Amino acid sequence: MATFRERLKPRYATLGIIFLSVLGVLFLRAWSIQVINADRYAAAAENNRVREIAIDAPRGRILDRNGNPLVTNRATLGVTVAPGAKDDEDMLYRLSVVLEMPLDDLMERVSSTREAALKPRLVALDVPMTVVAYLAEHETEYPGVEVSVVPVREYPHGSLAAHVLGYTGEISEESLNSGEMEGYVLGDLVGKSGAEWQFESVLQGEKGYRRVEVDAVGSPRHVLEEAEPVAGRDVVLTIDLEIQQVAEEALERALVEARADDFLNARAGAAVALDVHTGEVLAMASVPTFDPTLFIGGISTRDWEALTAEDSEYPLNNRAIQAAYPPASTYKAITGMAGLEFGVTSLGHSYYCAGRWTGMGEQWSKFCWKRSGHGSIGFTRGVAESCDVVFYEIGYEFYKRDREELQEFARRFGVGSVTGIDLPGEVSGRVPDAAWKAEFNANYPEYRQWLPGDTVNMVIGQGDLLTTPLQMAAVYAGIANDGDVMRPHVLKEVLDSRGEAVRAFEPEVAFSPEVSPETLRTMHNALLAVTESGTGRSALRGFAERVAGKTGTAEVAGKDDYAWFTAYAPADDPQYAVAVVIEQGGGGGAVAGPAARKILAALLGLPVEHVQATDVSR
Amino acid sequence: MSRVSQRMTARTSGLRKWANFPLLLTVGFLLLYGAVIVHSATSGFGSGAAMFQRQLLGAGLGLVALCVMWVLDYRMYESWLGPLVVLNAFLIVSPLIPGLGVEAKGAQAWLEIAGVRLFQPAEPAKLITIVIMAIVISQYKGVIERPRDVARITAFLALPFGLILLQPDLGTGLVFIAITMGMLVVGGLKPKWFVLFAVIGVIAVAGVFRFGLLQQYQEDRLLVFIQPDRDPRGAGYNLEQSKIAIGSGGLTGKGLGQGTQSNLNFLPERHTDFIFSVLGEELGFVGTVLLLGLYLALLMVALEISTSSRDLYGSLVAVGLISMWTFQILQNMGMTMGLMPITGIPLPFISFGSSFMLTNLAGTGMLLSVWARRSGV
Repeated sequence: MATFRERLKPRYATLGIIFLSVLGVLFLRAWSIQVINADRYAAAAENNRVREIAIDAPRGRILDRNGNPLVTNRATLGVTVAPGAKDDEDMLYRLSVVLEMPLDDLMERVSSTREAALKPRLVALDVPMTVVAYLAEHETEYPGVEVSVVPVREYPHGSLAAHVLGYTGEISEESLNSGEMEGYVLGDLVGKSGAEWQFESVLQGEKGYRRVEVDAVGSPRHVLEEAEPVAGRDVVLTIDLEIQQVAEEALERALVEARADDFLNARAGAAVALDVHTGEVLAMASVPTFDPTLFIGGISTRDWEALTAEDSEYPLNNRAIQAAYPPASTYKAITGMAGLEFGVTSLGHSYYCAGRWTGMGEQWSKFCWKRSGHGSIGFTRGVAESCDVVFYEIGYEFYKRDREELQEFARRFGVGSVTGIDLPGEVSGRVPDAAWKAEFNANYPEYRQWLPGDTVNMVIGQGDLLTTPLQMAAVYAGIANDGDVMRPHVLKEVLDSRGEAVRAFEPEVAFSPEVSPETLRTMHNALLAVTESGTGRSALRGFAERVAGKTGTAEVAGKDDYAWFTAYAPADDPQYAVAVVIEQGGGGGAVAGPAARKILAALLGLPVEHVQATDVSR
Repeated sequence: MSRVSQRMTARTSGLRKWANFPLLLTVGFLLLYGAVIVHSATSGFGSGAAMFQRQLLGAGLGLVALCVMWVLDYRMYESWLGPLVVLNAFLIVSPLIPGLGVEAKGAQAWLEIAGVRLFQPAEPAKLITIVIMAIVISQYKGVIERPRDVARITAFLALPFGLILLQPDLGTGLVFIAITMGMLVVGGLKPKWFVLFAVIGVIAVAGVFRFGLLQQYQEDRLLVFIQPDRDPRGAGYNLEQSKIAIGSGGLTGKGLGQGTQSNLNFLPERHTDFIFSVLGEELGFVGTVLLLGLYLALLMVALEISTSSRDLYGSLVAVGLISMWTFQILQNMGMTMGLMPITGIPLPFISFGSSFMLTNLAGTGMLLSVWARRSGV
C-alpha cells in the first residue's frame, strides 16, 4: 500500500497544479478587471445608470410691431414610428386605420429620407386621446410606434407673412457638422428660413436637463440633478399685422383682376412697405405663398415636391427680396435724377416725342410706349407720362459721355447690391456695365461690346438691369427721406422674459447718394405729377392723401408684361414707401397701382378700397 | 444497521479524529459568505425575503444531508454499482417524463409532482456519477491502459452524459466529464489516452458547430465568448454588464446592497449564475480574494482528505468532488469575467438554489465520511 501511495503522489501533484492554476487564473483576471481597469468599468457603470435627458426650451414667439403674436408654440400629442418598422406593412396598415390616415401617406412619412437615419418619424400630430389610449393598450402589436408630447409652432394667422416669418425644421446633419451650430444635437428644431432663421440664436433659448438614475430597461428611479430650460426670447418685428393682411389681399386681388383682364399667366407678385425714415418694413408680401404648418413635424415629400415643382411658381421664394426684375419705368426716377445731377437734362429742357425715336440712326429706331407720340414734352411731363423718348435722349447723352455715370449714380442708391435687410437669401440684382457685359459674354465675342442700345435700354429700366422690389422701395424711400436710403429691417426689438425690450434695432443709413436738394425736389414734383395727372392718376383717383409715385411695365422676353408701382406718401411729409410687382400682370398703372393704393391707404389709416384703374399706359 | 452503529461507537472515542475541522470551518465560512451575498442580491426583488428564507431552508436541509452522508460509510455503496447506474439514469431522465418534469429556461430540468416543484435531479446525479465513476475506476487499481478498460469507463460516463444532453443541459454534461477526467488523473489513465480524449474533444466541438447541433442561444453565447464586443446589446449584453459590475467594484467594492449594476437590474440572473458579479461589485477585489481564498482552503482540505483515504475508491470519491468544484468555480467565475462561455453553472456554496446547495453539502458529507474512515484511524 505504501508503494501505491507513493505512485499516487505525482498524480495528486497534477491535480493540485490544475486547481491552483484555475484559482490563479481567476485571481489574475479579477486583478485585471477590478484593479487595473477599475476606472473604465466604473465609468461604464455610471454611464449605465445615469441618463441625461435634455429638456427643450420653449422657442421664443414672433410678434408684430403692436405685440400681436404671429408665431407661437403649443404642445401636442404626436405618434412616431421607428424607421426600422418601415417594412412591417401589416403593422403600418393597422396603424393607418387607427390614425385614420391614408396608408400611402403613412408609409411615405415612415420611409422619409429627409430626416436623420435613426430618428423616429413623426407620422401624426394632434392625435385624439382615444387613439393614444388604444395604442398604449396594444403596445406589443405596434412595435416601434410611440406616442409623445411634441412642441410645435403655431401660426395664429395661417400663412400670413409666411416668407418673413419663415419656418422651422429639424437641424440638418450638414449644418450640425459644419460646426456653426454649437450646442445643437440631431433632432433639434431650428429656423430654416425667414425670421426663424435670422433670429435663431435669440429664439432658441437654452436647453435644460434632468440627470436621472435609470434601471436596465430605462425606467427612471430617481432624479439626481435638474436644470430648468431657459425659454427663447420673443422677437418683435416691424411688420404690422393689419398692413401685412392688406398687402397680401391686395396682391391676390391684383392677380385676379389681371387674369380677368386676359393676363392669364398672372400668378405671382410681391409687395413691400417701408418707413422712409427708419427703414422699418411694415409689410412684405410675396405670392404665391405657403402654409408654414406643413413643415411641422417634418414636411412630407409630397408637399415638398408640390412646393418646389417647376410649375409651382416656387411659393417658398420671398419675391420681395429673392426675385430680381427689370424695374422698367419706375427706374426713370433714378435715371431722371442722374440726368439732372450731371446736367444732361433740366426742367427747362424740351423734347419731341413722335412715338418713334431714331437718335441712334434709322436702322436702330426705338419706340415710345405711346406709339402716337407725346409731341412736344418737358422733363416733368416726361416723367409723368413716362415718355420713353425723353429718356432715350437722356440715356443717349450719357452714352456719348462714355463715363458710366448712370450706373455709378444707381449704385449710390443701392441698386445692384443687397440692402442688408435682416432676412436670409436677399439677392443683389444687377446694374449692367461694360465690364459686366464683356465678362458675361466672354464666350460670345460679338456680344461683348457695350453698345448705345444697352444704355438706352437701361435708362428706361429694361435691358440687363435687375432690381428686387425691396431695392425699388428703398430707392423711393430714399427720395422721400431727403436722399438717405435707410437700411430696411424687420427686427424691431427683442423682449426678455418679462416682456421688456432688451435689444432694439437702431435705424441706420444704408446708402447716402448725396443728391442735391434741387434734384430731389424736381423729381419729387415729377413723381407727384405721375399720380395727379400722369400714368398713375387713375389708380389714385380720389385718394385722400397726395402721393408721389411711378408706374412701370417691364417687358420680359417670352412673358407677358410685368406690372410695377412704386410710391411714397404723404407727399408733403413723406412717411411710407411702397413697391408692388405683379409678374405677367400687364400695365403697372392698371394692375400694380390699385394694389399699391390699398397698401398706402392702410399705412395712412385711410379706408382701403378697390379702384378699377383704366390706364392703358406704362 | 448494526454494523454501522458498531463503527460509529468505535469512532466516537475522539471527535477530533472523526471530524475534519478545517473542512467544516471552510464550508461554514462559505455558507455564511453565500448567505450574505444572496441576501444582498435578492433584497431588491419583490419576493426577496421569501427567496432568502428558501435559501436558508435549502442550507438547513443541506446540513442534514451533510450529516447523513457523514454518518453513512462511503464504502457501503461501493457494491451498489448496478442499482446506482439505473437510479442515476432514471434521475436524469425523470424531468422528461410527462407529468413529472417542468421546463425552465429552455430545458426540462425540474422534477414536479402534483404541482409541487421538488428539485433538479441533475444535481444529485452529479454525486451519484462521482460514486459510479469512483467504483468503476478504482476497480483498475491505479493502472488503466487497455483499450477495453478505457472503453468500459467511457461507457459508464457516456450514459449520464448522453441522457443529460436530452434535457438539454450541456453544462451539467461538462461537469460529468470534468469529474471523470479528474478521477482518471489519479486513477491511473495513461497520458496518451488523455491526448486522445483531447483530440476527440476538439473534433466533437468542431462537429457540433459544423452540423449545427447547438441551440441558437448556445451558439450565440459561444460566438460572443470568442468575440465579446460582437453584439453588446444582444447576446453579449450579459457578459458586458457582468464585467462592468465586477470592474466597477474596484478594490473595495461599493458596499453591500449598494451595487448599482445589480440593484438597477443591469445584471441578469444576479442571485444564481451571476452571483459572483454581485460579490465583485459590492465587495470589490478584496471580496474576490476572500472567496478565492476560501475555495483554495476547500480544495486543499479535500485533497488532504483524498490522500488520507484508506482505499483508492475513497480517494477517487474525494477527487471527483474536487474536480466538480474546481470545474464549477472556473466555469462560473470565468464566465462572469469573460474567460469562459456563458453556461448555466452556479457557484458552489454561494449561488441561490436549494438543489445545488443540498448537493454540495451532501458532497461535503461524503468527504467527511472518507475522512472519518481514513487509514490509520
